[in-house]
This record gives sequence, C-alpha cells and structure tokens, in this order.
Amino acid sequence: MSASPFTVVLTGNPNCGKTTLFNALTGLRARVGNYAGVTVERKEGALRGADPQYPVTLLDLPGTYSLSPQSLDEQIARDVLFRRLADVPEPALVIVVLDASNLQRNLYYATQVIELGHPTLIALNMVDVAEANGHQLDIDGLSKALGVPVLPLVASEGTGVAALKQILQQRAREAAAGSTDPSGSAYQARSFAELPEVFGREAQGISARLQSLYPHRQRLADAEALLLLSDDRVFNSHRDLYPADLLEAVQAARKRLESAGVDWRSAAIEARYARVFAIAQHVTVETAQFGETFSDRMDRILTHRVWGLLIFVGIMALMFQTLFSFARIPMDALQAVVDHTAALVAELMGPGDLQSLLTGGVIKGVGAVVVFLPQICLLFLFIALLEDTGYMARAAFLMDRLMSRVGLHGKSFIPMLSSFACAIPGIMATRTIESSKDRLVTILVAPLMSCSARLPVYTVLIAACIPQRRIWGFLGLPGLTLLAMYLLGIVGALGMAWLFKKTLLKGEPPPLILELPPYKRPVVTVVLRHMWDRSKLFLHRAGTVILGINILLWFLVTYPRNEELQAKYDRQLLALSNSPIPPGPEGNIPESIMGIRQAAVQREMAGALLRDSFAGRVGRFVEPVLRPLGFDWKIGIGIVASFAAREVFVSTMSLVYNLGELDTHDAAAQSSLAETLKGERDEQNQTVFTPLKGVTLMVFYVFALQCVSTVAIVRRETNSWKWPLFQLVYMTALAWVLAFITYQGGRLLGWG
Amino acid sequence: MNKVRAGCVVVIKRLTASPETNQRLREMGFGEEQRVKVVTLQNNVLCQVCNARLGLSAKLAESILVQQTELRRLAA
Repeated sequence: MSASPFTVVLTGNPNCGKTTLFNALTGLRARVGNYAGVTVERKEGALRGADPQYPVTLLDLPGTYSLSPQSLDEQIARDVLFRRLADVPEPALVIVVLDASNLQRNLYYATQVIELGHPTLIALNMVDVAEANGHQLDIDGLSKALGVPVLPLVASEGTGVAALKQILQQRAREAAAGSTDPSGSAYQARSFAELPEVFGREAQGISARLQSLYPHRQRLADAEALLLLSDDRVFNSHRDLYPADLLEAVQAARKRLESAGVDWRSAAIEARYARVFAIAQHVTVETAQFGETFSDRMDRILTHRVWGLLIFVGIMALMFQTLFSFARIPMDALQAVVDHTAALVAELMGPGDLQSLLTGGVIKGVGAVVVFLPQICLLFLFIALLEDTGYMARAAFLMDRLMSRVGLHGKSFIPMLSSFACAIPGIMATRTIESSKDRLVTILVAPLMSCSARLPVYTVLIAACIPQRRIWGFLGLPGLTLLAMYLLGIVGALGMAWLFKKTLLKGEPPPLILELPPYKRPVVTVVLRHMWDRSKLFLHRAGTVILGINILLWFLVTYPRNEELQAKYDRQLLALSNSPIPPGPEGNIPESIMGIRQAAVQREMAGALLRDSFAGRVGRFVEPVLRPLGFDWKIGIGIVASFAAREVFVSTMSLVYNLGELDTHDAAAQSSLAETLKGERDEQNQTVFTPLKGVTLMVFYVFALQCVSTVAIVRRETNSWKWPLFQLVYMTALAWVLAFITYQGGRLLGWG
Repeated sequence: MNKVRAGCVVVIKRLTASPETNQRLREMGFGEEQRVKVVTLQNNVLCQVCNARLGLSAKLAESILVQQTELRRLAA
C-alpha cells in the first residue's frame, strides 16, 4: 500500500520562476481547481517520476511579496502557510523559491516563511541570470545565515531540478518511515528581525494569547503576533478571524508602543529589512554594472507614450486581421465536415423528427459553434504569447495613463485584456487589484471587452453583411470591422468605468506599483499548452451547455406542430408536382424550374411553421422591443436564445434559417450560414441582413451581458447577487440604447 | 525620483508616502540605501531594482527621495 501523499508547498515572490519550477517538477500535469469558498486558483500536481509507494503532491501558491497580504491571492498564500484552510493539509515541506538575481527583495519574504517553522528548503532559482548580472553568490553562506538548506537551480533549463526531485523523494520516504518530525517539536524558533526590546515584549504577550487560543498552531504564534502588531489593515480584514478581546489586546499594545515612541507599523519591517540587507551583502559579491540592456531599450520603446501606443494598436490590428484571414482555411474545412456529416445522417435516417433533431439541432447547431475552434485557438495563442513574452504587463503600464483618466490604474488593464479571451479568467484576475472599489469597477466593466464567445457572432455577421473591400490596399473592411467592434468594447468599458468611479464607487486608486516580468522568448510547449487548455473549455462548453440549449431550441422551433398548416403546404407541393410545366425552347422540360418552385414553397412552409412554433411565439412576443433596433422576430429568437451564452446566437440562426433547407436532403443546398443570411429576404423581398443591421446587431452583442457563466462568477467574486444583477441590467439597457442609436442614426444618415 | 533623468542610477534615501505604501515599497525592494536604475521617465517611472523591473506612478515616484550617484545618459 502506498503512503498518503507528502505535501510540498511552493511559495515565493511573483515572477521568481515558481510556476516554471512547478511545471518542471510535475511535468505540466497540474490539476487546477479553486480554494474552497473563493475563486483563487489552486494549482496542484503530483511529482513526476515519483516512486508510487511514496507519492509527493505539490501545491503552487499564488506569488506574494510578504505575509501581510494586499490582495485575495496573497491572502490565500498566507492562509495556507498559517494552516487556516481546512481543505489544505499541513505542508510537510515548504519550498521557498528565490530569484537569485533579486536576492534582497526575495529574502524579505523567505525570512518571514522560515520563521513560521515549517520544514523549509530554499530553491535558489535563476542563478545563471544572477551570474550574468554580476552577482556571485555564496550558497553555503546563505544556507548558514538562513538556517535551512539552499539548492541552486535554473528551473527554465531544468538544471538542479533532478537534485530537487531526489531530495523530495528522500524526504517523502523518511516521512513515511517516521524518521522525520512532522509535528515540528524539534523546531528551533528563528527570528530574523531584531526588534526593539519593548516591541519584542509586546509581541511575546500577543504570542502567548495566540498559543492558548490556537494550540494546534502554537509554532506559528510568534510570527502571527508580529504580523498582528504590525499590519495596519488587520482590523479590516481579520475582524472575523480573531476574538474581539485579542484584537483589543493588539490595539492596547500598539498604544503602549506609540507612547514608548516605537512606530509599530515600520519597526518590524525595518528590523527585518536591515537583517536581510546584511545577509544579502554578506553572501553576494557584486560586480554588477548598471549599463543599458536589451530590456532597457525594449522598454524605452514599448512603454513610450507615442511609439508604445502605436505599437500596441499595431499588435491589436495584426491580431484581428490574422484572426479573420488565417483561420479561414481550417474553418472552411471544419464547415465542410459538419455539412457532410449532417447530409450523411440525413440520408441514412430518412425524414422524421429524430433526423431533424440530429441534423438540425445537434450536428448543425453545435457544428455552427465548433467551426470557430481555429479562430478561438488563434485568439488564445495571441493572448498566451502576450502573457508569456512579458508584453502584457508593459501594455498595462502603458495604459496606466489612459486608465488613470477614468479613475483606475494600469493593473485593471490586465483583467480587461484577459477578458478578450473570456471574461471569467479576466474577472478572476481582478484579485490582484488592492482597492476593493477599483476591483468591483473592473469586474463590472470587464465583460464589455469582446470575449471569444462574441467572435463567432461577429464573424458570421461580418461575413453576411460587410462587403469585401480593401482599405489602403492591405487592410480588409471585414478585418477592420472586427477591430472596430473590439475597440468599441474597450471604449465602452473605459466610459462605464469612468461613470462608476464618478458615481457609485467613488475613491482614489492606490498608487501604482506594478512589477514587469522580464522579457522572455516564449516556450512553444507552454504557449501551446495554454492555448489548448483554454480552447478545450470552449469545446467543452459546445459539447455540454450549447448542445443542451440546442436540443431545447430544436424542440421550441419544431413544436407545436400545426397539422393544418402542414397539410395546406403539402397540398400545394402535391399540386405543384402534378401541374404541367411548359416545355423549354428546345422542347425539353427544365427540371430546375420545378426544383426552384418546390424550394420556394418549402421555404415558405418552414417560415410559416417556425412563426407558429414556441420559439416563433417567443420571437414575436419580444419583437416590439426589438423592432426599433431593426430586428425581426427571427433575430429575436436568436437574441433570446443566446441569453445563456452568446455563441448560441450562431447556432440558433443556423437552426432558424436552415430549417427549410434541411428538409430538402440536399447537401449542396445547405450553404454556409453566412451565405444563407446574405440571401435572406423579408416579406417585402428586402435583404434582411443589410450592413446597417449587421453593425447594429454587433453593437448589441458588444454591450449585452449574455453569459450565464459570467453572472455566476461575478456572484461568487462579489459574494452577493446585487452586483451581477446590476451588471445584467445595466449592460442589457446599454446594449439596447446603443443599438437603437446605431440603427436609427444610420437610417437618418441614409445607410439602410 | 520623478525629477531625475532616464538612465540615472540613484540611491533611495527616504520614503515619504503613507506608512502602508512605504511598507509595500519596502517589500518590493525599495528600501533605504537601495540602488535603483531609472529606465524610463514618461508620465510614470519605470525603474530597475536589483533584477526586478517596477513601474511606479509619477505621484508615488515623487514620494521617494533619492540621491543621484552617477549620471549615465542612455545612448540614443
């Protein structure tokens, strides 16, 4: 029988290479979940190549600068180390990953963690970068100064990873054999901060109270007492965590310190900082020269107020142009597969309800969404590249100027940019924003950034409504329209953020301190893995939520069957096939005329049946609200159906407009959705999908919050129904008003 | 720190922001006597502390008092 897993926790500053090390140890096979009750990502994986008898589980904690958390992410890291989370086992070993090239700052956090008394090991990462930058490190000296083992490594190249694996395996074996002391009774209290005597006494007093209150966390009491005394925010964030009399004791101790002339806010930090400075000086031989590096030159251009902005717009334009042109070929191929499968199934099964459900509802409906996979993959590839090269943070820094005009700071730009892929990771990324008001504003506006689910909607509408024209010889009008929709989302998000900051959520943003990760050549496997992980979610949605909605929709567009209406059209079709057709000029009967007449009657029948179906009734019910926007009841069905997920609009349109054609069992007649929409005429024989209507519909989709998953995640992140409901109402109202202005304004200008 | 030229190496002498912000600055490496290279100075300040590159708002940079150690103009 194998022993229970040996739990190893990885912690460290952001950008210290912690996740690279985690990936190297687990072989990219991480399980990603959430910590109970919050949406902070919990990344867990088994040590790759471990002896199955002694399994090792690794937990990658969010990056943090200290044990005084400023954001939700950092709070989780602290709570795991303080054993406050019931669903996370006590760490059997804590690996603190240090960036060797940035030793001083990384040591600040490392000394805090070492003081907690968990069995600790230092993984001194990026020793190559440190050497290249002229820092010669004395590894043994560092180990002696810290009192824990130090292992030098270069996680990105795998150097030292094998040695670390061996150590982990060895420790797991020892733990299983009971030769280590997991209870930590042999733990020697270590303190790196030489405190003023009076401060030390007060800390001891609080520590004694903590020990009696939480006997199972005795070892942590000294460190906890120090944090309680020094952290200014403790009374806001810890009110529910500690009994009132303890907090009163802390308050009283602070008062005593103040009267003794000790600044409780900075005493411990300064003392620790002084010690860390001394350790870093002692173990480092500096030969560093501050010269201009490649990164400096890159940053001077990429964060320049003019060049940087132009480059940013250029990158975005290139991205959307690529999305539109390069993805075409695989998308057409996928479309052909979907069409052939539908035709094959139709032929094999023969007419009937089941055939109609399978071809129209399942294959064509889900297929209409799945064909966008290449485009979604490309979008995720771009986002992964922006993140992985380090450009994303530069864009945030660059955008700080713009963001500060609307009362937010650059940090809010990263969640917004991530929302181009999907609002859910975007909203989750707001956890790094320190101010709760700014975080809420970012959550409220993030879904205005056009996500990947809108891409199918835009693509179909652009293909159906926007003419192929070249601008300046190389930019296509369709690509530019797509870019315009994305820009409209950005402008909308900024405008609403400004409004919210001026009205509902007033408050100064905290000063911007943003760490920019070093520029990196992207690792192909990591980028592809990122891309695939996210694209998989899109496929999963298509196979579950969208499939379910499509089956329901098929039912709604098919029933109730109006036998009378059906019989009327059947009689018309019969009469048509019996009626004599005049011979052509050379005496033969053109069969195509017959086909055209039959198809016309069939289309008319499909339209009449749809109008009378449940979905048709819903569409006609909402039509008065949508008429001012230029939408008829058929588009109404699409809008209502896509309230749960935007991409359902595409499959609904496929179901609504292809109904007549599916019954013809003719694969050739089943043209692509965009082609079908292009040819669609209303009762007055006018084109339904004009450029103006296409743009109006897209404007509606830019602003409407049609995503159940977003509502659910906002509910979880804000811990109330108030904000998601408010968001749903304001976005829907905004979508309607702006679509109205677009359509009516366009008509006044004579565009449609 | 927002008054120096891009390319300068400066030594941090005093932090004059709020205690909370000072704490964050120290945690991120902006401690007294720390040498910092100012990479760009546009509206905000981009600087290098040890091997970390940090972006600061102009207002925050203003609250960090520094002493210039050497003037190294960036090559054009």
